[in-house]
Amino acid sequence: MTLFSLTPTQNAAGQIGLAAVLAVVGFALLLPNPKGRRVREGVAALLGSVAVFGAWLYSAYGRPMPDLVGTVLFGLFSAGALGFGTVLVVQKNPARGAIAFAFVILSTCGLFLLLAAPFLVAATIIIYAGAIIVTFLFVLMLSHQDGPSDENDRSREPWLGGLAGFAFTGLVLFTLFLSHEAAAPAEAGDQPRAGQRLPAVVLTDAERQRLTEALAKLDATDDELAGDLTKHREDRIAHFASVRDAVAEVVGSEGAAPGPRYGTLPTRLEKTPALDGKPAVLYREDAQARATLARAAAVRDLNGRAFDTLQNTLLAKNPDAAAAKADYAKLRDEVLLLTGAGQLPARNVGNLGYLLYTDHLLAVELAGTLLLVATIGAIAIAQRKRESAE
Amino acid sequence: MITLWHYLAVAAALFGIGLVGFLTRRNLIVMFLCAEMMLQAVGINLVAFARYHGNLHGQVFVMFIVAVAACEAGVALALFLMLYRRGKSLDSADWAAIREVGVPPASDADPLPTEPVTAEPQLAPAGVRPVQPANEEAARV
Repeated sequence: MTLFSLTPTQNAAGQIGLAAVLAVVGFALLLPNPKGRRVREGVAALLGSVAVFGAWLYSAYGRPMPDLVGTVLFGLFSAGALGFGTVLVVQKNPARGAIAFAFVILSTCGLFLLLAAPFLVAATIIIYAGAIIVTFLFVLMLSHQDGPSDENDRSREPWLGGLAGFAFTGLVLFTLFLSHEAAAPAEAGDQPRAGQRLPAVVLTDAERQRLTEALAKLDATDDELAGDLTKHREDRIAHFASVRDAVAEVVGSEGAAPGPRYGTLPTRLEKTPALDGKPAVLYREDAQARATLARAAAVRDLNGRAFDTLQNTLLAKNPDAAAAKADYAKLRDEVLLLTGAGQLPARNVGNLGYLLYTDHLLAVELAGTLLLVATIGAIAIAQRKRESAE
Repeated sequence: MITLWHYLAVAAALFGIGLVGFLTRRNLIVMFLCAEMMLQAVGINLVAFARYHGNLHGQVFVMFIVAVAACEAGVALALFLMLYRRGKSLDSADWAAIREVGVPPASDADPLPTEPVTAEPQLAPAGVRPVQPANEEAARV
């Protein structure tokens, strides 16, 4: 996509701009118009816009191929949301628009499910099912079905409205691009970017990969410690040494000062390490980072201890593998928990309820009050005045 | 891996589509649905951030968005009902009388397309006596 030897930022700006212009053209041609719509040209422009948008996503944020099922589902749901949203906007008949809106809701619920929010999926579907049915009733009750009407067959400034909406979207996307550190590499003559970054994740993908490899080896502990332990000592020790090194690369090894052996995870999270009884100063001062560091410290201790036990066991005259096996089973569990640090569990409905009624109790009460006021307001607005009724 | 950024980009695009619909459509109910769609786009953002940070506060935000959307739906539909009773139309341009002072009124230049009116099918009225030839005597049974 570097036809004109542009910098990546200029390239991204060009792609986003092209997608926005094509979307403006497509919507302006498709929106209801008394002179008639040009459906074929409009759909072609929108498809072009989607293609450029996808190319930009692909080139800016990398190819999301390793997780094939997740990628396919994400593509399906996001295409559904955007496609049915477009149908809702350009559809003349409001009843069909309401059906398209139902599919937008279903698609966003699919995205919620991919983002580990099962309760929100259920709540959204239940609430919007009611809302859409009520809207439908209103459409059937209030809209004229006899021929063209001002409200359905005319648009208000399709070109200017489309331009405003998609210029806004393009700017948001470009800002997203600029705030993404990997997608915006340093360029010649580029000023250092001001602004605040997102807080670092507690466990990077590379670290998670290392820990997963160590886990695969830990799962083979029983096989490695089977048979006559006086044979193949070197091979067995080499296997467990590789486990120790893989884990130590992430969490550090016991007694290591800040430096190469300190581990990538503490090096990344700690601004200044704990010294002389003072607690460490972290880049992220939250419970999640603290808990992850504590777990990493536990893994570090256990990692060194388990390897020492194993070495002593294997070098003894009558080796008994029970103690080493128990240590490595515990290490496996701890490493497994550390691998999941910072990940939202999919089964989180109970935690959501707990959070609502502890941290956000006042907000829940306010939301309930708001609903009550809205109910009273709706009744007051819709009430027929006595004079007009007579 | 599908990252946070993919979700943010899709949510921004969905919000933009809803914004265009809200700005250009004139049917009050369609405008309302477009506003709801924008709220959904914001919800995707918040849930994606909740996943990114590994906590549930973003999901709690979305629950409040849903509550506010329900309030909005109730009040908006009551308002539409009232406006429809007064104007017998869902066209938002009918309420141009409350526009800002000094702004000229917008006028629709092009006439609406007229659909060809096809005559409704007429059935022959039932129950009429068939005309009898004059020279034939009515049969007596």
